[in-house]
Amino acid sequence: MSLDIVVCVKTNPDAQMIRIKNREPVLEAIPYKVGDLEKNALEAALQLRDAAGGGTIRALTVVEGDRKIRETIKEALAMGADEAVIVADPALAGADQAGIAAALAAAVAKIGACDVLLFGEGSTDNYSGQVGARVAELLGWPQIGYAKKLALAGGGIEAERSMDEMIETLAAPLPVAVTVVSEINEPRPISLMNILKAGKKPVTEWTLADLGLDAVGAQKRIVSNLAEEQDRKHVLFAGAVDEQVDAFVNALVKEGVVGR
Amino acid sequence: MERVDCIVVGGGLAGLAAAYGLAAEGLEVMVLERGNYAGAKNVTGGRLYMDPIRALYPELWEEAPFERAVARESITMMGDGAHTTVEVASDRFAGAQPQSYTVLRARFDQWFADKAAEKGAMIVPNMKVDELLREGGGDGRPGRVIGIRAGGDEIGADVTIVAEGVLGMLASAAGLRAEPAARDSALGFKEVIELPAGVIEDRWRLNEGEGAAHLFMGTVTRGMLGGGFVYTNKESISVGVVVGMAAMLQQAEPVESYKLLDEFKELPQIAPLVKGGTVAEYSAHAIAEGGIARVPKLFGDGYLLAGDAAGLSLNALVTVRGMDFAIASGYHAARAVATAKKAGDTSVAGLARYERALRESFVLKDLETSRAIPRIVENPRLFMHYPRAVSKLAESVFTIGAQPSPRLAKTVWKGARRDFLSLATLKDLWSLRKM
Ligand SMILES: Cc1cc2nc3c(=O)[nH]c(=O)nc-3n(C[C@H](O)[C@H](O)[C@H](O)COP(=O)(O)OP(=O)(O)OC[C@H]3O[C@@H](n4cnc5c(N)ncnc54)[C@H](O)[C@@H]3O)c2cc1C
Repeated sequence: MSLDIVVCVKTNPDAQMIRIKNREPVLEAIPYKVGDLEKNALEAALQLRDAAGGGTIRALTVVEGDRKIRETIKEALAMGADEAVIVADPALAGADQAGIAAALAAAVAKIGACDVLLFGEGSTDNYSGQVGARVAELLGWPQIGYAKKLALAGGGIEAERSMDEMIETLAAPLPVAVTVVSEINEPRPISLMNILKAGKKPVTEWTLADLGLDAVGAQKRIVSNLAEEQDRKHVLFAGAVDEQVDAFVNALVKEGVVGR
Repeated sequence: MERVDCIVVGGGLAGLAAAYGLAAEGLEVMVLERGNYAGAKNVTGGRLYMDPIRALYPELWEEAPFERAVARESITMMGDGAHTTVEVASDRFAGAQPQSYTVLRARFDQWFADKAAEKGAMIVPNMKVDELLREGGGDGRPGRVIGIRAGGDEIGADVTIVAEGVLGMLASAAGLRAEPAARDSALGFKEVIELPAGVIEDRWRLNEGEGAAHLFMGTVTRGMLGGGFVYTNKESISVGVVVGMAAMLQQAEPVESYKLLDEFKELPQIAPLVKGGTVAEYSAHAIAEGGIARVPKLFGDGYLLAGDAAGLSLNALVTVRGMDFAIASGYHAARAVATAKKAGDTSVAGLARYERALRESFVLKDLETSRAIPRIVENPRLFMHYPRAVSKLAESVFTIGAQPSPRLAKTVWKGARRDFLSLATLKDLWSLRKM
């Protein structure tokens, strides 16, 4: 069986590198990367495709500007996607989840070859968790949210989701839209060889006009973006090196950073 | 084995300058950088001299993210409780074409990496190169460098440009250069401290956008080879201390070198400058100070060395350079490789043009002119005796005591005779002629 998969991939500012200054995140000079949950979705796609024995995996992303997207999306290609599709259009600036979903749905329709459409359960930065469901609705496809296990079964797909006290197993025919949680898998590390190959994989770029859209509706305005500011503890350990190390480790354990 | 035309090890200024040039020539080039992004691990004091490199990649410097054009240079000799500062300002320092800019590497290197990527270079962060692959070596000869091993994969290249920075571990392991010795190395500690632009301009008496560079020598390193520095950036200052490793090892008591920076910041003349600032970045890094005598052979079969990895840096006490050498060596490496590729000869003979180009450029010329400096500055009197003596003399000139004062000339003469009229000073002066 051949299974064509589209994985919707959002690129986010590298959260580990963001500093907080005056309660606001400093985003200047922070590189963008493929979100962690999107990597789970990509890994799920690779495993499903392997199980099916063939098919094409496309990474699809929607951005307002160029934001070095051609560089960033290579991470998805290096992980194993066969092709990338970028929808880039300044008219997407400030688009809300409905707007992004409209663009994604139109792009999936234009790609055509899609049996399974995968998403992360939310994005690392804004985490609204709406986009997967909205796209499924626009396409009129069945959707499964928060899958923690996926398998091909009976020509369709079978998914497990964690409910509070039980596990729910759902089955759906293809095409289907699925959002995955991080427990679903451990995304594979990216090898140098695959990075090299990624540079040669096809990348398609569309604008909204290419999708037959001119604007995507509702505009979003960020009113404030406040972060918790954490003060450094400034603990100094004195004494012989061994004592310092012991005291340091004890302090880390006490803070719950290690050894839980 | 997968292959590319050229592999660059290290996404510092040398590696990025090489990658930019190679990609512009249409070669397939891959930069491997172990940090999270280019610039993540790179430390500099502060300031990039432009005149040596302005004509190389002229299109780049118009839009480069420089911090401030340095309009004023100061050097302070620090004695015991007294210090003397020489301040030099010139309209030409920060004129239409400023001679130097302060830079922050985290920002500058990322920008440079983007520029190289726009030209088509492949920049791979988070990728540490573990080994240079060789073929046909033995008997103390390195053989031909045929590529690299990183993250378990082997990738081949016609030429590998080793721009891994000052420690040169891959190059040493492959026998392409000697390991750096303590005598030829210094250690630098630096903090980037954020302050509002207006505060910086007030504290340093600067016009908007202009910057200051300030070096300190003497008690700041407890008389050891080295010194302190303060460079003003747009909205932060770079404050650091550099100290010679050999000088440090010679101390009777072990030196906790990182404490030197804290001590420096607490000095009465520095504390008010850093007051109220937030430390945004802390770093420590080695510096090669061996000069031309320690520059290894810069090329061989299938490889070139560039930047700090080739020992291309120069500490001449009042000026510190390395970034301009790194950019220029990367530029010449790219040109040499592009020409060698076109001629189909990336062997020793084909790559020899790289070292020739560097010999004809300021890089090896300036290092040659300064050949004697690394040995001159080993003289501890430069960091111990003179900063004290100068400050003491200057202090006496400005002192009015309770007793009737002697003539000024007499005060000066007394101080000069005490601290400067000696055989040792004559010898020191004589040695300085080679600076
Ligand atoms: C405290 C201090 C103050 C200085 N002040 C000045 C100054 O004011 N002006 C000036 O011009 N110069 C100054 N210098 C010198 C200048 O910073 C260096 O000469 C310059 O950074 C050299 O550039 P480079 O590209 O050769 O090396 P680097 O900038 O060190 O870059 C080397 C890169 O290689 C990477 N790397 C290393 N090993 C590997 C590996 N195995 N695999 C993958 N990547 C690897 C590193 O992560 C790094 O990004 C100063 C240096 C220091 C430490």
